[in-house]
Amino acid sequence: MSNRILSLLSVIALSGSAAAEVAYEFVPNFITPPPGKETIGNGHGEIAVDSSGNIYVSVQEANAGIQVYGKDGKFIKALALPQSLHGFVIRKHGDGEHLYAAVLGEQKVIKCSLDGTVVMTIPTSEFPGDKIGKGLKLTNCDVAPNGDIYVVDGYGQSHIFVFSAEGKFKSVFGGPGEPLKLANAHKVFIDRRFEPARVMICDRGHKRMLHTQLDGTFIGEIATEMRNPSSASFHGDLMCVAEIAGNVSVWDKDNKRVADLGTSPKPTNTPGIEPKDWQQGVVTSPHGITFDNDGNILETEWNKWGRVLRWNLKK
Amino acid sequence: MRFARSIFILAAGGAILDPLCVFGHGAEFLSAKLTLLPEAEVLLEITADYGGNPLIADEAVAKEALMDPVRLMRGESLVPLAELSAANITQHDNWAEFAPALYLPSDAETQAHTLITAAWRWRSSEPEIVFEMPKGKLHDVLLWTRDQTNPDAPPKWMLLLAGDRSKAISIHWPPWWQRWQMVMASSVVVLALGYFVSRNFTLRQRTL
Repeated sequence: MSNRILSLLSVIALSGSAAAEVAYEFVPNFITPPPGKETIGNGHGEIAVDSSGNIYVSVQEANAGIQVYGKDGKFIKALALPQSLHGFVIRKHGDGEHLYAAVLGEQKVIKCSLDGTVVMTIPTSEFPGDKIGKGLKLTNCDVAPNGDIYVVDGYGQSHIFVFSAEGKFKSVFGGPGEPLKLANAHKVFIDRRFEPARVMICDRGHKRMLHTQLDGTFIGEIATEMRNPSSASFHGDLMCVAEIAGNVSVWDKDNKRVADLGTSPKPTNTPGIEPKDWQQGVVTSPHGITFDNDGNILETEWNKWGRVLRWNLKK
Repeated sequence: MRFARSIFILAAGGAILDPLCVFGHGAEFLSAKLTLLPEAEVLLEITADYGGNPLIADEAVAKEALMDPVRLMRGESLVPLAELSAANITQHDNWAEFAPALYLPSDAETQAHTLITAAWRWRSSEPEIVFEMPKGKLHDVLLWTRDQTNPDAPPKWMLLLAGDRSKAISIHWPPWWQRWQMVMASSVVVLALGYFVSRNFTLRQRTL
């Protein structure tokens, strides 16, 4: 543990100049829960922001799987989506802005308009049968510049499936075997900071993040010995990462850690930490994260009461 | 028997099952339950779930994960658990007894978990024990302590990632007078034995 702290400190020290260029301040009590609720509700934990700045947070509530908040953090509405949306992104492609989500409990992927209307489904039957194993446990998806949809079986065999924009299966890579040897590849993202874009994999079991080309060819590790990277988001040259064992980190394009936020004094990985034990600005089990359109960071947690934290970019 | 004991603990308020969500994680760690027994004895029960842990595909992987999950620090060296005692392996599906309420898998009621527990029991030679997870280990270990002499006390827990070392855990080290009693008793036995040997030896000399 001490080694990890020392290496973290030295990395921070070495990247002093970069860190000086990016700093954040915690915003207490940013989210205003729905009327009549003390907290947002049982969250597995994913969050995204649309192009107009509205914030979408997943909660495990029947037919109300996503709550929508304004830029000011005030509740607007709930969307009638499945309660087991494990990971989702909001992306603009040819046919407009949509929400793409992996539905963990239903072994499928859905594409929805921002009002919650499902416009496309990738059902279990579209996945190659020899890679389904004991059943799909889909945890996230993202969209490549050409419209291809990347889906990861993160609680299953860690295979990464590629579908066309129309939801037709194209290819598969990853999994537990060579060359990537993934274990609990919790989420994948298309990293558009690079040209051509890359696939960024949160290989949570191995506590590392790695890049591949869009065809799955290994590029390199971004970082190792993390606190179990679970989700990520990009803004400009930066990437923020939710580490479920108790940290939020920010990385530059050269894979240098430039900030750590909300670090929990001791590692954790549980949804059971009650609101009375929450501390302002200290994370419990970060599970979802996003930049907003101005580079501020919003993080949500795997927590039975539901929690969202915000750090504003210091300018 | 174990089921009955867990019911008793629940009834006594030692653990309360939280409301469980429907689509939760499996337990993505090995749960290491450390029970502090009287007279410096410790029982370490480490449980792997090959029904809900995405890092443990099947029974074989679970057994492999339990081969050498953590090591005991003795001075500057790390002692594998297998050198402390032989492991007692059991299979069951009772998470409630082998993970603290705070860390119970959120789908424990709705999903079948398949658990294997390896148990090691030994008498400590030190008043405090420290565990370390060797670097490169895949499975995080949730180490939680239950004091058998105070079962109502909330369990203390710490999550160990690869390379982490636990805090020092105080065990039920016998008080000084008890240890002295043992030393005295041992001394008396040794003296008596010596006397017996010398008497016999002397008698044999005389006979010769």
